[in-house]
Amino acid sequence: MEFTIEVGRYNPEGIYSDAAVPGKPFPAPWDRSPVRRYQTYKVDLPEHAVVLDALIAIREYQDQSLAVRCACRSAICGSCGIWINGHANLACKSKLQEFTKDGTTRVESPPSMPIIRDLVCDMNPFWEKHLAVKPWLQNKQPVPPPNEEYRVPNASMEELVQEVSCISCGVCLMDCESFAVNQEFLGPQALAQAYRYANDPRDAQSKERLGEYSKSGGVWDCTHCYECVTQCPKGVEPLEQILKLRRMAVDAGFTNNPGTRHADAFAESVRDSGRLNELTLLPKSIGYFNVVDQLKTLPGAFNLIRAGKLPPLVHKKIPGLSRIKAIFQRVGGRFK
Amino acid sequence: MTRDHDVVVLGAGLAGMRAALEAAREDADVAIVTKVHPIRSHSSAAQGGINAAISETDSWESHAFDTVKGSDYLADQDAVEVMCQEAPSDIIEFEHMGVIFYRGADGRLGTRAFGGASQARTYFVGDITGQALLVTLYDQILKAGVKVYEEWFATKLHMEDGVCRGLVALEMITGELHLLRAKAVVVASGGLGRLYEPSTNALICTGDGYSLAYRAGAPLMDMEMVQYHPTTLAGSGFLMTEAARGEGAYLLNSEGERFMKRYAPNKMELAARDVTSRAEATEIAEGRGINGNVLLDLRHLGPDVVLKKLPQIHEMALDYLGIDMIKEPVPVRPGMHYQMGGIRTDVQGASSVPGIYAAGEVACVSVHGGNRLGANSLLDTIVFGRRSGKSSAEYAKKTAATSGGEELLRSEQERLRELLARPYTGDTPAGLRLELATMMDKNVGLYRSDAGLHEALDALRGFRKRYEKIAVGDKGRVFNQALTFALELGYLLDCGEAIVRSAIERKESRGAHTHTEHPDRNDVDWLKHTVLTCVDGEQAEISFAPVTITRWKPEVRTY
Amino acid sequence: MKVAFWPGCVSKGACPELYVSTQAIAEPLGLELHELYQAPCCGAGVLSEQNPELSDSLNGLTLAMAEAEGADLMTICSTCQGVLSNHSYHLARDKTRLDKVNATIADQGFIYKGTTKVKHLLWMLFEDIGIDRVAAKIKRKLTGLKIAPFYGCYILRPIESLGLRERPERKNYLERLIALLGAEPVEYKGATKCCGFPMLTFNRDKALAMGGNHIMEAKEKGADLLVTPCPLCHLNLDAQQPDASRVLKKDIDVPIFHLPQLLGLAFGYEPEQLRLNHHVVSTKGALEKVELKV
Repeated sequence: MEFTIEVGRYNPEGIYSDAAVPGKPFPAPWDRSPVRRYQTYKVDLPEHAVVLDALIAIREYQDQSLAVRCACRSAICGSCGIWINGHANLACKSKLQEFTKDGTTRVESPPSMPIIRDLVCDMNPFWEKHLAVKPWLQNKQPVPPPNEEYRVPNASMEELVQEVSCISCGVCLMDCESFAVNQEFLGPQALAQAYRYANDPRDAQSKERLGEYSKSGGVWDCTHCYECVTQCPKGVEPLEQILKLRRMAVDAGFTNNPGTRHADAFAESVRDSGRLNELTLLPKSIGYFNVVDQLKTLPGAFNLIRAGKLPPLVHKKIPGLSRIKAIFQRVGGRFK
Repeated sequence: MTRDHDVVVLGAGLAGMRAALEAAREDADVAIVTKVHPIRSHSSAAQGGINAAISETDSWESHAFDTVKGSDYLADQDAVEVMCQEAPSDIIEFEHMGVIFYRGADGRLGTRAFGGASQARTYFVGDITGQALLVTLYDQILKAGVKVYEEWFATKLHMEDGVCRGLVALEMITGELHLLRAKAVVVASGGLGRLYEPSTNALICTGDGYSLAYRAGAPLMDMEMVQYHPTTLAGSGFLMTEAARGEGAYLLNSEGERFMKRYAPNKMELAARDVTSRAEATEIAEGRGINGNVLLDLRHLGPDVVLKKLPQIHEMALDYLGIDMIKEPVPVRPGMHYQMGGIRTDVQGASSVPGIYAAGEVACVSVHGGNRLGANSLLDTIVFGRRSGKSSAEYAKKTAATSGGEELLRSEQERLRELLARPYTGDTPAGLRLELATMMDKNVGLYRSDAGLHEALDALRGFRKRYEKIAVGDKGRVFNQALTFALELGYLLDCGEAIVRSAIERKESRGAHTHTEHPDRNDVDWLKHTVLTCVDGEQAEISFAPVTITRWKPEVRTY
Repeated sequence: MKVAFWPGCVSKGACPELYVSTQAIAEPLGLELHELYQAPCCGAGVLSEQNPELSDSLNGLTLAMAEAEGADLMTICSTCQGVLSNHSYHLARDKTRLDKVNATIADQGFIYKGTTKVKHLLWMLFEDIGIDRVAAKIKRKLTGLKIAPFYGCYILRPIESLGLRERPERKNYLERLIALLGAEPVEYKGATKCCGFPMLTFNRDKALAMGGNHIMEAKEKGADLLVTPCPLCHLNLDAQQPDASRVLKKDIDVPIFHLPQLLGLAFGYEPEQLRLNHHVVSTKGALEKVELKV
């Protein structure tokens, strides 16, 4: 059947076909990439064809100048992570039928990454983040002799299969909302790999890693939006690994950061009143002695007062609070 | 621009990165040249596992014998012995690097069964073993700080007086050609699957290294030995790992019969790949197929085994055929998968040309002979990758640097300029590639005949003529894939000619080479390697080399 | 229709206008609200990240309270919806977890059987109340307004526990509702994005930029206002909007409506009854388009 594909073209040498019309990427206010052109192609393919089939058909038989990275065609090599209808996906795993909207499918290089040409983006930001988490085993001593493996339970290895399944396609970072506003953020893929090593029983540096990952740009810079979980083509669920890292970091004693203070203030409020107290949450998270950041929040508080929206100054407790306290007593852990 | 290194490794799959890591450990200034990012390499597609005789109940001799028998006695037994003896420590080294191998209840490495093996000795990570090894090795490369020229496409080896002195490569992002001078080049650029349609191989497996080394004078050996994998997915041709059968899956014909009992009554579905593929082809030819396929049935394994040990193929069948293998059998057929032959090397990875080393699929040591056993390819890459890295670094230490090569750089620039300037003829590289690959599958596939092979040779001559006039449909510099695609097609044509020339010579049936007019193995006349040498960069010369036999005399091969 | 009503902390704290407007629209929609006064905060994902067992127990208690009411649990907050959906999804499938919860809450007089359905008001409009009934109650068409939907992450992701695999139409309810009320839905990428609130306390400027970018995108597409089913998004998009303007160095000035406020307007309530005069960003300009004053 016939499919229509609208492809975002970009050529730094300025060579374009007349059929390519200037346009902006699918709405992306944070876009840092140059103006692209959009060119429409029609391809005849079986009904179950994927977006990559269309791109290959175009490149092979209609327009050899279309640049797109691809290799395995079966979601193993991770080459073809691109934007399809405004979300990052693997082209080889995205069925054309499912993605056809109003008769067309729009394909382009993700605006969150620097562009090289057409559908080929510069993946260096991604690889730099990968490298930054030290993604290699820091062997626990003693290393067994050359003819002997570390003896560890299979369950501890199976626990890591989810992260090892990552094919480094970069789809998670391309759609990461924190990365869109914060280039320093290590991002979903790197942090999922960070968890994989921090949680490996053969790794000697778990604690040092957790300290590193707790710093600025690390686990606390994730905004918890679940885009990476939704877009990951291999079920790595990076956000879930980031949350595990946060827990591990706190357990390892890395608590002197706004993220931990936020969690502590949150839990305290629920324990003592049954509800969240927005009034104390912010200052407690920032830390009472961080005067500069405290002052930054003042205009926000003032706006609330002026609008008559400020939460009641005397924070009310819910009826039946004893139940909540009892639950905290039983399973509250460090929040008891 | 010109740069100098001690060792340049071409290719960043398992063999290439393992070679580079070893050369770096030998304090060589080593750099990797790769046309794709290392993680995109096709090693990641190896699913099922990696063989070694580690357990106390196993022995390297048993592993070696299975390998030799699997090769239909064409493997060099000294090389097989090296590989099987060194397998355990090489695999353990990867475990120490962090690979999360499956464990048994005692916390020690656990195994699964694989084809052609007398016992379960395949170590694995689910059905993503290649990927798990590749990522771990890549991270070791990062840790060691090895220089990687990423998305650089090799166009020619740099030769001076019969000695390899580096290579010329195209930096795809800028379109600039570079001369990389080196004292030694390790060719580890992988296979040539794009020469066949369909194939399990990635679009990047275009035989670059075979052609580059061959044209530089390094002989190719046993090129007629092209493996068809018994279980490739209907339609797309994607690989369905042998581990499925290792875990107990059945092969069924249209009558629901486990037909392997008639071909390999002892090993059944776990016979060697050549045997199983031919059995399937026979079933299909005799009318017991289903639309040109047989069925791979995993239903009796239950969801737990499928989802925990074979999750990737489960997902692939679901994605590309809409079939849930937990509930339904999957249609599969034999499909081109692997090239046993390649650049002839010794057990140190050295070719007969000084300065050219090779490892992995592109090399022929030979440990696979006429037919490679499943889960021996990953092993080949890490054992001989390591060995070639070490020996190339040692060679580099005693070799003086060179200052030439500017002339070659200029002539390569001129060659590419001419290629880009050619007028359109009506032929597209993609169209020609498809014709070539379809022809290879038809005439030089699972079954060969004299007529078919000669038809293939004629066809190749015609393709070559058309190729010499072919135009490139993109005239730019930045990331010009049309240009690299045209160059790749040239590599494929060289590989095709080498395969057909070698296949025409071998008048017997051995391993993957099944000749319909010579259906039996003939040890008297043909227990020897075919060797193809390029003379003066053009003419191919056939010769033969004896097979090294250390302890296993050829026997009748049954499973 | 009887529902176990969980208003969440924010509608009883910094966003009282959400609570008031929900109460207002309950009658025309035929909703009999049985508020769970004794239920605890859902933890907003913070508690589940730090202590999954604690989060299971607290939310298990809420789910058990709804179960005891014999009615579906209705939320008016995307975050509460996401957290409670997640716990109800897993507790219904994982007996070990359910048993643990019951071992903790049994002394408190509750046992959770694992049957409670958790539904945001937005879903109930389409799936339980019926869109015909909503249409029948419209007294004032919002014709002329261009409204940008802003869902909030946790009513969209992850899709499994929210039932979006079975009901993908849930991803478009806001657009359909906006059209039904006579207004024009604005199509823009930010609709399904993150408002930035979860980072507000630890990465303030980035969080503000995140929300601000989405509003600006909607504004560029002609939006008169944004509507959200999530009060936490509302806090970041409305209460923090002046600060976001400062961070982005752009004039934003787009009012943010709660879902029940928009319904209330269409049902004929006056803006003051819906506390539309108690927003940080003035709703005046948007209301004037439908000839209303605050």
